[in-house]
Amino acid sequence: MAEIVLAYCSSHAPMMSSQREAASEEQRKNFFGALDFLKQEAVDRGVQAVVVLSNEHYTNFFLENFPQYCIGLGEKNWGPTEEWLPIDKVWIPGHPGLANHIAQYTLDHGFDPAFSHLLELDHGIMTVYFELDNDMKLPLVPIVQNCAVPPLVPVRRAYEFGKALGDAIRSYDGLERVAVVGAGGLSHWIGNPRVGDINEEFDRWFLEVLESGDLEQVLDMPNEEIELAGNGNHEMRSWLAVAGAVSATQPKATKLAYEAVYPWITGMAVAQWETGLGETGLAETNGTAATAAAEQREESLA
Amino acid sequence: MHRAVYDWVRAGEVNSDAGGDGRATFDVGVYDLSPEERKAFDNQDIAAFYQLGLHEVLINRYARACGFSREDYRKALEPYGKKEERKGRWQK
Repeated sequence: MAEIVLAYCSSHAPMMSSQREAASEEQRKNFFGALDFLKQEAVDRGVQAVVVLSNEHYTNFFLENFPQYCIGLGEKNWGPTEEWLPIDKVWIPGHPGLANHIAQYTLDHGFDPAFSHLLELDHGIMTVYFELDNDMKLPLVPIVQNCAVPPLVPVRRAYEFGKALGDAIRSYDGLERVAVVGAGGLSHWIGNPRVGDINEEFDRWFLEVLESGDLEQVLDMPNEEIELAGNGNHEMRSWLAVAGAVSATQPKATKLAYEAVYPWITGMAVAQWETGLGETGLAETNGTAATAAAEQREESLA
Repeated sequence: MHRAVYDWVRAGEVNSDAGGDGRATFDVGVYDLSPEERKAFDNQDIAAFYQLGLHEVLINRYARACGFSREDYRKALEPYGKKEERKGRWQK
């Protein structure tokens, strides 16, 4: 059976690709250092496929048909779609075996996800997937959620979907080592007068909640309160789904990076749920490794 | 209005079956737009779209596709902002 050997979440502001240098050197070092660390972890842990949860931005779906969840079942998916996003537009390999298993398992366990044999992937998945595999060859099962258009799935339901997703992966016998990644958040506003604001207080509190493992503090949060940290904060559903996916073995996350990057209009965070190394000194280990990865990246850019 | 903006944005993206920039030949005339909506479209008027109720995610996508920076379109939308009085559970 498959194991979830790597689980993490990252913010996915498109400017992390399109305006990378707009962030300060220290911010880039911290944020990308964490992602570089996780990229190396994926290699070291022999990840065979990755499931990425993100959210729909009116790329695949319009108002006449807007699923709460859609699983990409195809042999391949395409992305990124945005003409201005400086990531090569390519066919990305899917993993139909794992994807179909997730779809069937979640259908059998109280959820009704839609499916697609061809998803067009925008920055929501592609920025974070690209940072995981610059060659974009790692088989990807994309799951897009509705985090924008009411009525929205309650955050507790997103967490429960993540639990079913985790169980689905762990009951799949076609692979051994799978990564689960959430992409989106944290606080940000788009398309309204507050675009550019970041709610650092919320971001730090949310990360502390994830690190504490006491998710009851957030699972009853209504949409109106979520939006006090921005309409983009609905993307916390991806974070809570990943938390749910690994909750049986690792309820506590470890923050690897947090930077309020105002030029990217987003509270940019990276957090990991340690699933493969056990309980031995994760935060210290990760912090050191993430810093080392950041320094290596800066040297390569110099 | 939503459909017209959505189709225009998607027409210019690099989709799996893309055959070129569909925005160059995009015919907004086939959409049933009010005069105000058509004017907003023709003028790439973000503020007007906001006032007309275009979904904020589509406003963002439209602004990016038009080449507006966030800073640019924030200036256009700022006059319509309201002071937030509510507090979240994380606020001390």
